[in-house]
Amino acid sequence: MNSKQVHKYVQRFLEATQCSIIEKSPAHFTVKLSPAADRELTNRPFYWSFVDRTGSEPETMTYLLVTDKEKYEESLASPAPAPAQATNAVDAALNRSFGFVNNNLANAVRTPREDLYFGSRKLEQLFGAAKSSGSYVNLFQEPERRSSTPFQSTPYTAWLGVNMRVEFACDRKREEIHSYGVSLATGLVVENFYDRLKNLRLTPRLPSNVHVTRNGLSFTKALGIVETSLERKLKNYDYTWAVDAAARLEEELERIRNYYDPMIKHAEEESKTAIEEQFNQRQTEIKWQYEPRVTASAINCGIFHLEGIE
Amino acid sequence: MTFTMNNQANVNSASAEASIVRRKLHPLVDLQCDRTWFEELQSRMAKNGPWDDWTLYQLSMEAEQAKRIDSFEQLQCLRTLPSFEPMPHQIDTARKVVHEMGGRAILADEVGLGKTIEAGLVIKEYMVRGLVRRALILVPASLVLQWVRELNSKFGISAVAQKKEHTWQYDVVVASIDTAKRDPHRDIILNQDYDMIIIDEAHKLKNKKTTNYQFALQLRKKYCLLLTATPIQNDLDELYNLITLLKPGQLGGQSEFAANFVVDKRMPKNEDQLQDALSTVMIRNRRGDGGISFTKRVVKNIPLELSPEEKALYDAVTAFVRDRYIEDGVDMMSMLPLVTLQREVCSSRDAVFITLVNLFKKTAEDSPIRPKIWELVEFIKQIKANTKAEKVMELIQQINDKVIIFTEYRASQEYLLQFFRSHNILAVPYRGGMNRGKKDWMMDLFRGRAQVLIATEAGGEGINLQFCSNMINFDLPWNPMRVEQRIGRVHRLGQKEDVKIYNLCTLGTIEEHIVNLLHEKINLFELVIGELDHILERFESNAGSIEQQLARLLLESGGDTANLEEKLNHLGSTITKLREETDSPETPQGPTILAQMTALGQKVEVRP
Repeated sequence: MNSKQVHKYVQRFLEATQCSIIEKSPAHFTVKLSPAADRELTNRPFYWSFVDRTGSEPETMTYLLVTDKEKYEESLASPAPAPAQATNAVDAALNRSFGFVNNNLANAVRTPREDLYFGSRKLEQLFGAAKSSGSYVNLFQEPERRSSTPFQSTPYTAWLGVNMRVEFACDRKREEIHSYGVSLATGLVVENFYDRLKNLRLTPRLPSNVHVTRNGLSFTKALGIVETSLERKLKNYDYTWAVDAAARLEEELERIRNYYDPMIKHAEEESKTAIEEQFNQRQTEIKWQYEPRVTASAINCGIFHLEGIE
Repeated sequence: MTFTMNNQANVNSASAEASIVRRKLHPLVDLQCDRTWFEELQSRMAKNGPWDDWTLYQLSMEAEQAKRIDSFEQLQCLRTLPSFEPMPHQIDTARKVVHEMGGRAILADEVGLGKTIEAGLVIKEYMVRGLVRRALILVPASLVLQWVRELNSKFGISAVAQKKEHTWQYDVVVASIDTAKRDPHRDIILNQDYDMIIIDEAHKLKNKKTTNYQFALQLRKKYCLLLTATPIQNDLDELYNLITLLKPGQLGGQSEFAANFVVDKRMPKNEDQLQDALSTVMIRNRRGDGGISFTKRVVKNIPLELSPEEKALYDAVTAFVRDRYIEDGVDMMSMLPLVTLQREVCSSRDAVFITLVNLFKKTAEDSPIRPKIWELVEFIKQIKANTKAEKVMELIQQINDKVIIFTEYRASQEYLLQFFRSHNILAVPYRGGMNRGKKDWMMDLFRGRAQVLIATEAGGEGINLQFCSNMINFDLPWNPMRVEQRIGRVHRLGQKEDVKIYNLCTLGTIEEHIVNLLHEKINLFELVIGELDHILERFESNAGSIEQQLARLLLESGGDTANLEEKLNHLGSTITKLREETDSPETPQGPTILAQMTALGQKVEVRP
């Protein structure tokens, strides 16, 4: 993700979570978070449990989110109109004596700055927030065009859609993302289902003059279809990496066996169990480190009601 | 912090086992399908919600797409570190550890090539790939905060310094090994599976009989890095022990190792095979051929005449020491503090005074020495000004920039602080006894407003003062290593200026001889870093520490300057000879065997 992509991402996030953007430029946002976003992003669990228990009105935080550090700092350096500085010294002194540290009340609100770039912790947190409230959906396609008569109803099919992350891991790791959709009417399975969804307009409410066809198969059946399709696909992959990893694993096990076996044989009775225990521990570690494995887990999923019968 | 960081591995593992379905992909590999998502989806359908937002659904997917690790190779962490640029050899090292060594390695670069950065890159890489979540970093207490700071600021890793028992719950914890091995921490740590363990200054684990080593041996870990600039100090067994922590059996069993690779504890055989075996667990990058790599060191000795009062004190103390030597004979243990007296006169009267008071307290009430000590105190009273301090003042005003002053004595440090304060120069102290927070604070002050830092300690690895290029040795330690440590604080990577070193040297005193020895004979100030410890080690292996040898020379010579001169000359040439031997490749002795192992890393020309 480059800084432009980050910027766009952040903007969509802030809008989707109903945060109010106070000020923005192509390099930054000043934003007052919505309560939902504040809970996710500000690391204030104690504050929020206080609000929840007392039922008081929450005061959310305001952040300065910088998406392009260089450009932002450039814009600061360039002569910005600063009439506020002109407030005379007498006022400032008076203010201080009244207990205002800043002569500008708006400044009294702390606006912490966060630099958002790919790999930064705050962006990582944003990703996390998107995930925690973007995991399970139930959506309907908006009809392409209004049907001519109000009495004609368009048939819709329900799909089980899931985005899977597949991890190929040993002591190293590689990942793929696969997106499957299974028609609950017919059992038809579609790859790259997410790409198809991206081009549609989707809404959480059932549109008018639409009827959803009866499901022809159970959810569990659909799940089975997804997993089987994935399995079939992955079976055709090249597993040299796993063979190599297994060889490394065996080599490592062999090495420690050669080290510990004679040690255990010659050990005094009382120290024997301790050495055996250590040997077992080392074996477990090595398996943990090298054993080749493929895991599939969902990034997110949902039920999608799409036009037509497939 | 961990409250909101949603951690997938964590969430999954909780309810995982039950909802994982295995399918065979390949004779060696199962596909494990995690079905937790499906159960959650069904339960939401049963309750008709709550349903999430479509935009956030897309954002969540896009985040995953951006984070996806598309290849086994390639360092992924580099694109997440826009704020700093590691050096090529550091990147190479990280790549090698991850791709060729399976994440278990000894990083044994020579001092100053950035082992911490290399370790940071490795851990970051594994974190980005989701292979490491929990990590434990064990370092000397003085380095804890520095590690925490580097990991956070350079690598964006939320590392936490261990303070309380509950700190162990955090994902990445930095702690001192001495704390970690003690109850109640010990059991907590030994009951964890750590994805990664890093041990800094790992040469402290060389002896397998120590509790530290036994503790390290019991840690449960997947990946592991041991950092040390000196994987072998005396003995090949040290290296063997370190490797046993990482990959037991890599060099065979203890007896095979001895039979295959060891002639004598300092002398390896079958070096090529040894090097091969080592190359899969150890990386050692070396400095380029010195000289050009660093900015220059400009050394200036500043000779000073003591004022008549100071000279009187010096002579009186010298006479006092000589008398004691003649009376008490050659018991070195009791003589060393007396030699210290002589050295202290060259520093400040305050330093002498404190030592005299202590000496006075220790001598019996009826001892004839007591009145003699009083006489010396009378001499001290006569002294009204400190020649050195005044010279330093002059220097600082000339330099008109940040200056670090080193002294051996706490009392001199206090005196200088007072002295500078009365002359309106802002100076801050630094000493070994300060706690970490205070040390950091002093550093910050020096970086900011204070012009002068007065330090009694240079050994604390934590002080990096690249921003300052002037140092004054108010007095010199007798051990060349300690002098080198002092210089190393400012003359290191990142220093952009030539480093100016001023040695204050009072004429006609023991100090003059020492400065002469270190500067002219040993050529200390021009030695390549890392060379000195090898030379000294061999020098001291025969006849005790260099300080003791010097003290003995001094006492034995009585007041005979010519005699002393000659003896020091002899000592200087012994060292020079050792140095030539160390340089020549025919003698692969102890520590230098690593110098021959050129396949373990690359040569790095370090340009600040």
